[in-house]
Amino acid sequence: MNDLIPLMVIVPIIAAILLNLFIKYNTTIKILSFLVAIVLPIIPILSNYGLHYFGGHAPLMDNGTLLNSLPSYISDGPLSTFHIGITYSFESLQKILIFFLFVVGFLCIFTTIGERKRTPGSYMFLMLMGLAAVTAMLLSDDIFHMYIFFEIAVVAQVGIILASTDNQRYEIAMKYMILGSIGGPILLTGIGFLLGLVGSVNITDIVYVVRNGLVNANSPVFLFSFGLIFFGWLYSVGLPPFHTIKSAVYSKAVPSGSALLQALSVVIFISLGIAIFRIYSSVPFIGVFIIFFSLCGMILSLTMAIMENDFKRMIGFLAVGELGYIGLGFGLGTKLSLTAALFQGLNEMIITATLFIGFGVVLYMTKTSDITKLGGLIEKNPKIAIIVLLGGFAMAGVPPLNGFQSKLMLVQSALSDNFPELAVIMILISIVTFMTFIKAFHSVYLKPKPKNLVIENSDVPRSSVLVMVVLIAICIVLGVVPTLVTDGFSGFVGGLI
Amino acid sequence: MIDTQLAALLSSGSFIIIGLYAAVFIDNIIKKIIGLSFIEEGANMFLIALAYRTDGVVPIFLPGMTPEWFASNSAYPLPHALVLTSIVIGASTLAVMLAIAMVLYRKHGSLSASVILGDKHE
Amino acid sequence: MIEYVVMIVGVLGSILALVQRDLLKAAILTGITGGCIAFLFQILLAPDVALTQAIVGAAIVPVFLAITIHKTKRVGEDD
Repeated sequence: MNDLIPLMVIVPIIAAILLNLFIKYNTTIKILSFLVAIVLPIIPILSNYGLHYFGGHAPLMDNGTLLNSLPSYISDGPLSTFHIGITYSFESLQKILIFFLFVVGFLCIFTTIGERKRTPGSYMFLMLMGLAAVTAMLLSDDIFHMYIFFEIAVVAQVGIILASTDNQRYEIAMKYMILGSIGGPILLTGIGFLLGLVGSVNITDIVYVVRNGLVNANSPVFLFSFGLIFFGWLYSVGLPPFHTIKSAVYSKAVPSGSALLQALSVVIFISLGIAIFRIYSSVPFIGVFIIFFSLCGMILSLTMAIMENDFKRMIGFLAVGELGYIGLGFGLGTKLSLTAALFQGLNEMIITATLFIGFGVVLYMTKTSDITKLGGLIEKNPKIAIIVLLGGFAMAGVPPLNGFQSKLMLVQSALSDNFPELAVIMILISIVTFMTFIKAFHSVYLKPKPKNLVIENSDVPRSSVLVMVVLIAICIVLGVVPTLVTDGFSGFVGGLI
Repeated sequence: MIDTQLAALLSSGSFIIIGLYAAVFIDNIIKKIIGLSFIEEGANMFLIALAYRTDGVVPIFLPGMTPEWFASNSAYPLPHALVLTSIVIGASTLAVMLAIAMVLYRKHGSLSASVILGDKHE
Repeated sequence: MIEYVVMIVGVLGSILALVQRDLLKAAILTGITGGCIAFLFQILLAPDVALTQAIVGAAIVPVFLAITIHKTKRVGEDD
């Protein structure tokens, strides 16, 4: 059933527009967004692997009657393999990632419905638009299509920041927009150079042309386009020099929004990263570039996380630091490391969602995020404390949780690729991550309760607890049986290299 | 005399550079946003200039043209389709930025980026 | 020949827009640059894009800017 592939993008967009129409009816919004969110994860399960050509524009190769009517310089040349329309490709990677993305999206929407009495329709609109945009980026085989949906995702992310109640949200949103308006056109210029070289924006066509030597892969234009697209990628994923703004973005949104923002960033990271990896795999030192920026990102964000006193910002920096692991996997560029990177990306989506929502409960109860003013919350709700601790264990890579499996694979791939230094650095960073997390956990839950701490809402919304239990259950299942997803990932990576 | 395509590429480059300069160095937030719109327009013009063909025709297939003649004389229409989308996206991001700038002005009473986006939140 | 003149006017307009102290003048000059770019699109064999750019670049963007300036303040600080 290949016809289901575009539905993954169309359904959330239509739902978002409908929500915007019914913005005044609270119950309608609740029911509609809940229904849509529950339907979304089912679509990727039901649909089959394959390609979807928009408007039925298959490559000329697949259309015999049209091909025979064309002159021979088209029908015999590489032009006959080019993709004419926009193509969506749905393979094992897309199936797994989109399923988990929609699950995280469903849980975030569910948390929002549970936490607030009046569900804001515009917020639901933005969440669904963000989900649709990154899904399109992941599915699309067309680098310009990716750029368009990347811009839509940026606007949706900005909207999610603005929907919070934080004092500084407008400033952060403005900064993110300004950087985005520089990064976006630069990405577009890079795409323009590629288009000028190849004459097509379809990634498969570009790869075909570069592999077969039809354009010079060492020409300065090609390298320049790599630089421009790489810059856009750095901006979109929050590697240095953009790690500060990205973590600020996470810390300003409402917790369920931050959980979704991290999921969106991970998917943007993976989809653009795979595009760059496929097109520019022949560029010398590409691995070194990616490893360098990823390492910088991890180290800089960790040092900033250690110094923070605000647990929202701390988790934000930790989340950005974790993104560096995916970059390391891409930089190493072997089959094992790429599989590990994709698996790590999936794990991050789930783990950081747990942590954001878990610490969001603390914020909901106490209305403060300053760890010097908090303490002793373990007496109030030990269950949530244990779930958050499990989330921290998963992030740091403690067996048998999922973070352990993916980090083990990354370390193994670094060792088998003769980079023992990278393996050591990864383990060290993982230890420091755990230390930082424990510092936050200790000061929020374990240390004696300060006298002037007022607990304003002692009843935690049941939906948040349920969501966290589901997320941790996914963590444990993926940690015990990682082959559930790694088989699919390694199958996809096998086709990539 | 340099040819039209090269001149268009050069002017698109100068739009991008002027816009980058404004976005980075000018303090007024409205002018920063104007600069960002210049970057966007420069990138669009770069794509259109790539598609240009000297002494070519507009890529509309009119009666009386043979496909071979059309293929070797028309401009490349793919970038045109891309730029149409890109213009609209640029205008909408501009509108979002201006809306945020209005809220920020109401909050701080100033349009200076160093005041509005200052280091207070760090 | 006319295209070179339009290009120079467009680039000059963008520079002039950024050095104005009066923000409303800057918005109008942005419109002039947008119009010049629309005209250039016409010369560069993209009449369909030129239509969109003429509406967006020469009308919508300056109006958005003018509304913002009306709601905030007209004269920018020194820069």
